[in-house]
Amino acid sequence: MREPDPLPASAAPRPAMPKGRWVDVAGVRTRYFEAGTGQPVVFIYGGNFGMADGASSAYTWNLNLQPLADAGYRAIAFDKLGQGETGNPARDQDYTMQAVVDHAAAFLRALDLPPAHLVGHSRGGYAATRLTLQHHDAVRTLTIVNSGTLSPGVGTNEVVLCNPPHPRGSREAVRWVYENYSHDPGVVTEEWIDAVMGILSLDKYRHTVQKMAGEGLAERVFLPELAQQKGQTLRWLDEGRLQRPVQIVWGYNDRTAVLERGMELFRMVARHQHDAQFHVINESGHFPFREHPAQFNALLARFFALQPAQ
Amino acid sequence: MNGASVTALALHSHTLNINGRAARILRDRESDSATVFVHGGAPGITPYSSGAHIWGPALARFAEDGAVLALDLPGFGASDAPDGPYTIDTMADHVDAVLRAAGVRRCHLVAHDTGGLAALLLACRQPGYIDAVSIVSSVAAAPTGDGVENTALAYPPQPLGSRESQRWALERLSYSPHHVRDVLDDCVRAAQQAPHLAAAARMAEPGAAQAWTTSVARAKARLFELCRGPGVPVPVQVAWGTHDPTGTIDQGLWLYRILAQRQPIAHFHLINRAGALPFRDQPEVFHSIISAFSDAMR
Repeated sequence: MREPDPLPASAAPRPAMPKGRWVDVAGVRTRYFEAGTGQPVVFIYGGNFGMADGASSAYTWNLNLQPLADAGYRAIAFDKLGQGETGNPARDQDYTMQAVVDHAAAFLRALDLPPAHLVGHSRGGYAATRLTLQHHDAVRTLTIVNSGTLSPGVGTNEVVLCNPPHPRGSREAVRWVYENYSHDPGVVTEEWIDAVMGILSLDKYRHTVQKMAGEGLAERVFLPELAQQKGQTLRWLDEGRLQRPVQIVWGYNDRTAVLERGMELFRMVARHQHDAQFHVINESGHFPFREHPAQFNALLARFFALQPAQ
Repeated sequence: MNGASVTALALHSHTLNINGRAARILRDRESDSATVFVHGGAPGITPYSSGAHIWGPALARFAEDGAVLALDLPGFGASDAPDGPYTIDTMADHVDAVLRAAGVRRCHLVAHDTGGLAALLLACRQPGYIDAVSIVSSVAAAPTGDGVENTALAYPPQPLGSRESQRWALERLSYSPHHVRDVLDDCVRAAQQAPHLAAAARMAEPGAAQAWTTSVARAKARLFELCRGPGVPVPVQVAWGTHDPTGTIDQGLWLYRILAQRQPIAHFHLINRAGALPFRDQPEVFHSIISAFSDAMR
């Protein structure tokens, strides 16, 4: 006998995104969404500008914003530099992870937030960790979700998701990518695909695809810079510079960032961070917060509540 | 939460009569739904005396959120030892009888060590009142393969059950010895009570300890078989300390892998800087993890 998930992502009532807002972040028009009041929780999604077969945006967190608001927090999701509806990097040399992290830190300042609970997924987990290491005062706690980018081991995205068997950038290709990220392909709803296609069709986003793929900034600028700074980021983690409460949440069935990547990461941070926690969620691929939002949101709220009042 | 003061909630001790035997429980209130705590240990053998008291301050913390019930397994604390051979089923039957007698109709079972193995097998019987099971540091339920003998508690100071012997065992099992002074009196008292003395005498008889070890191995094999087949029928999670001297993280993770085969709602958690008694080493984190699972079921 199996009990159904009390809130399977495919059947749960889908909280609508709050009304979008705009803020100027060091000259970059930045899109964000927020719900609730209380200590800020800032969600940082994954991916990067210029990807042709997938595009994360603040919508990625639509199953988490309102529940965290209901739990007593000010839940915020913003579009990263060059992603979603936020403006693009101004210069070719800004097509870097560091520019994304700088923009995220400037976003926290632009909203004049007190130290925030950061929740970063995948490449956003890397960005959130780098942000914490560079701006400790902006961060209350750090939650890292299925981040192969941050883990010292080898990620397998490029293997599992290589060359979708559909025309580049088509709805079918996008669906294929997210289905392969997920444990249950049923969680890849039309609404999710709509959100991705909406971003892919923006002129400003197509510009980043042209830059990264067409002009080769991915191989020339973005990936080398990421590889170089990742060495530094891992050294900083090894040196115990994180110095904020951290939890790592992992979807058990992720084929792109497998469980061992999470274990390695946990061992690395737990050596220095006495309050480190590690959580695994079953029947979940790369997006545990979309496949099992109730389980994920409960872990967040309980972790935040552990922190003493400031 | 958020640093709110912890109210001292009174836990009351009750003795139930189960088929003519005393069965002791601790509970904070009468309720038909509760978080139920089942301790571990091998009766009359483990060199620290477990029982409802082992959960310590965690019980009061859980009682702030809802009813709690902790029990003494047979041959521990103030619950009479059985006459016949002692097996994992002795434990599972006892939990079942106690919860029925106490009027519990819905519960989240939180079970430690050997109690974890008993709780999983009880859940597989589908008694109807178990909503979820949390298994804590239960090397008894984890696969061992052709493992190396665990010698964490191999040479306890004599006499067994004494204050010094129990202090030694609790400190060796823990990441930090600081909590030990808070539970030592209760453990020493438990070792002096008739149920423990009877269980210790029984286990000293020829073949008794071997029969118990065999029962654990067979119960484990039955669990793995059930997990390959229908699976544990309720949401289940495994919580493990990073510094458990009785079982490796890998063993905890393999127990999780086995449970996760057939139960879609399954979590695995590592509690940093905790030994074999993570609810004592890290009571706040332990409470948070167990409660998040309950929250998600609501």
